[in-house]
Amino acid sequence: MTALVDIQNLEKNFPLSGGGNYQALKGIDLEIRKGEFISLIGHSGCGKSTLLNMIAGLDLPTGGTVLLEGETVKRPGPDKMVVFQNYSLLPWLTVRQNIALAVDEVMPNLGKAARDALVEEHLDMVGLTQAATKLPAQLSGGMRQRVSIARALAIKPKLLLLDEPFGALDALTRGNLQEKLMQICNEHELTAVMVTHDVDEAVLLSDRIVMLTNGPGSKIGGILEVDIPRPRQRLTVMHHPSYYSLRSEIIYFLNRQKRVKQWQARPHKVLARHGLEKVNLDLGFIPLAACAPMAVAEAKGFFTKHGLDDVNLVRETSWRGVVDGLVDNTLDAAMMPSGTPTWMTAGGHGGPPLPIVSALTISRNGNEVTLAKRLAEQGVSTVEDYRAWLGSHEREPHRIGIVHPASMHNLLLRYWLAANGIDPDRDVHLQTLPPAQMLADLKDGSIDGYCIGEPWNFRAASSGHGVPIVGDLEIWSGHPGKVLGTREDWAQAYPNTHIALTKALLEACRYCADPAHWAEMSELLSDRRYLGIKSDLIRFSAQPGDAGAFAPHGEPHHLFFGAGLNRPSRSEHLWILTQLARWAEIPFPRNYVEILERVCSVGVFSTAARELGLEDVSYQRSGIELFDARPFNPEDPIGYLNEVSLHRDFSIAEIPIGQPRAITA
Amino acid sequence: MTITPQAPTSSPSGPLLWWKRHSKVIVPPILGIFGFLLAWQLSASLGLTRLPGPLSLFTEERTRDLLLYPFYDRGGLDKGLFWQTMASLGRVAQGYFLAAVVGIGAGIAVGLNKTLNRAFDPLFQFLRMVAPLAWVPIALVIFQKNQPAAIFVIFITAVWPILINTAEGVRQIPQDYHNVALVLQMSKKTFFTKVLIPSALPYIFTGLRISIGLAWLAIIAAEIVMSGIVGIGFFIWDAYQQNYVSDILLAVLWIGGIGLLLDRLMAWIQSRISPGQ
Repeated sequence: MTALVDIQNLEKNFPLSGGGNYQALKGIDLEIRKGEFISLIGHSGCGKSTLLNMIAGLDLPTGGTVLLEGETVKRPGPDKMVVFQNYSLLPWLTVRQNIALAVDEVMPNLGKAARDALVEEHLDMVGLTQAATKLPAQLSGGMRQRVSIARALAIKPKLLLLDEPFGALDALTRGNLQEKLMQICNEHELTAVMVTHDVDEAVLLSDRIVMLTNGPGSKIGGILEVDIPRPRQRLTVMHHPSYYSLRSEIIYFLNRQKRVKQWQARPHKVLARHGLEKVNLDLGFIPLAACAPMAVAEAKGFFTKHGLDDVNLVRETSWRGVVDGLVDNTLDAAMMPSGTPTWMTAGGHGGPPLPIVSALTISRNGNEVTLAKRLAEQGVSTVEDYRAWLGSHEREPHRIGIVHPASMHNLLLRYWLAANGIDPDRDVHLQTLPPAQMLADLKDGSIDGYCIGEPWNFRAASSGHGVPIVGDLEIWSGHPGKVLGTREDWAQAYPNTHIALTKALLEACRYCADPAHWAEMSELLSDRRYLGIKSDLIRFSAQPGDAGAFAPHGEPHHLFFGAGLNRPSRSEHLWILTQLARWAEIPFPRNYVEILERVCSVGVFSTAARELGLEDVSYQRSGIELFDARPFNPEDPIGYLNEVSLHRDFSIAEIPIGQPRAITA
Repeated sequence: MTITPQAPTSSPSGPLLWWKRHSKVIVPPILGIFGFLLAWQLSASLGLTRLPGPLSLFTEERTRDLLLYPFYDRGGLDKGLFWQTMASLGRVAQGYFLAAVVGIGAGIAVGLNKTLNRAFDPLFQFLRMVAPLAWVPIALVIFQKNQPAAIFVIFITAVWPILINTAEGVRQIPQDYHNVALVLQMSKKTFFTKVLIPSALPYIFTGLRISIGLAWLAIIAAEIVMSGIVGIGFFIWDAYQQNYVSDILLAVLWIGGIGLLLDRLMAWIQSRISPGQ
């Protein structure tokens, strides 16, 4: 495949009326292959149309170049025909004359008869032969856009550029036109770039979706490959397994952009008070039963008690939102899966390594694996049954939902599957999904099951859509669940705030550990600001009469506080590092000792515990051993990695994380 | 105006129904005009003003002849009102045609070219504020003769609205149409005939319609000061000199009627040429 269009380091500035410049786009690099359909998506004012106009040559870049077949685009021309948003038909010409005008201008060397045939052919293509003698004003919006498309296609452009072509149309017309356009593109192997606001339209039509960040200085925030085979049908495409993950990916991106914009719109002054460097904090969480300490710390005033006057709990819909919030500094700290600090420190999130510190383990346990009801109906009640069922059912791929690659759910699920002879990458496919979407996917059958924290397992069981197959108590009882994480440079800049935050949450954890408070906590978390579901679905432990996975050992399911429970543990984070490396999420860091030293903020925890008079919770836990009784020796992680029976080709590499530095505000 | 419908509808109460529906539109203007004429006639009869009343059109014998025989021609300046009007209209036609050609041409040039626009716009804005009467002596100085001077006054009065509206029409061509022309790499000629003219046409016609009224106003003014020519303007002046006031009233009636007709004519052409815009 050759690149038809090559956009290199494109930049566009607009002079402002009051002097100065508005930078609309910067650093845009994009290659468009022949026959590809590309969508540009982003919020209003992100420069999508500007980018399209520069490809069209209607607007010239202030930096960088657009190459079409190796030649710089300097002026517009019929080889890169545009379908305009408002159709741009000439109202004094009939439908046929509008198309003929384009054909006659662009192909004067063709005979008159051949040109007329071309016009008729394209009138027919868009089904407008009947309306050929009508004026545009006599046509509906959908028909006008069909004329516009016919006009564009009739002159055989190398590149078709569409600027929100269906934006002004009603849903039904839009759907029909999308199918028509798709069919035409397939038949004629057109190369097209389309600007759109419509997520579904982008997924339906595109081979790749280019997502642009907010202006000023918009750039490409991500490019999604749409792996749905063609020909596609509007009504069946949404049953393709990739459809909703692509869709949610785009929506996540757009929401993220919106959140960043809102965050930028607010004033951000660091408020120092009570001897703390910063008392106004944005703390990220996602709605799970394990977020109870955050909610309690807010509701019971533990934050204010420790001087944090202005704490704002920011509910994210996925862990990815938490990760991005830390990356772009819109969050001060967050509750995160216990694998996240090492994963981000090692650069697992895709950017340069971002050192994250954790001074507190907020919760342990609370996770389960739930399989869909339909599997239980076919007799799958144990992992052996599932393995046998996988062997006899070829429907590829078998998807199991996880919430994040660096979450304990992923690592425990993989460990458990692998120990039971199921390859977590080859026999099944683990799909990252936002927690709130899991149940819906389980219902519609696009996933076999999921591994996630409460309340989602209990909800699936109580609504009859899923059956718990194994709880984490049976995989690794007492595994770290959620931890407090913040950027290392943040922790360096606000050390006393960090301690105060740890104290507030540790005290909240102690509150949460008391079974007498659980009913109150369920009530609190059922609020719309947190989980927004009925309080009797939010449980922290097995109830009398519960069977199976909810109460395998009669232990409390969620552990929030206790001896050795909350102190960040280097050996646990090391185990996590080995597992992340085992499944090739990150290379195993050769400098793992340095990384663990930096990630585990034991000093902050100890100070916090001491100041609260809780020194007794601070001692080290015993060694790590999971259900398969394979011992983990923290002295020899690489030996452990080589020993495990099933693993990907992992690599070992030095991960440079630089010197600890404080953020400069 | 038809007061009764030409074909009675199937309903027997047709004419009555029609009257019911339309009486509100028809009665007030009739009453208004009639009232105005009555008040005028009364004030004239009672000697409140020296202006003769509307009935003088019939009571004065000379005026009645003029009213009833508009087509007589006794040679020289002694012609019926129809011929007087036609002579004036002839001048208007020449000056107006010239104004249309120059106005549209210059308007397009100014509308397309920003530099030209900047160069000439202040001049145009200034010149268009000069009253038609003020041009008359200048025109006489330039041309030395009544006929070309009259045409010039028409021209210079009528050209500005055409020019300014045409330029505006060209500037108002939607960017979309420009983009279409750019993307298709349209030739200058195609752009001119297929995009520019059709797009600016409504503006051009607005200009033309305003100008026809102005041209008609100007010709009267011009002729009044140009002695010894056939034309409705000089006819008024002549009548005034001889104190034939009722003749003046009749001529004014003609002028108003012709002006109205001209405006309707332009509106009609406009609706025919650019329908729906």
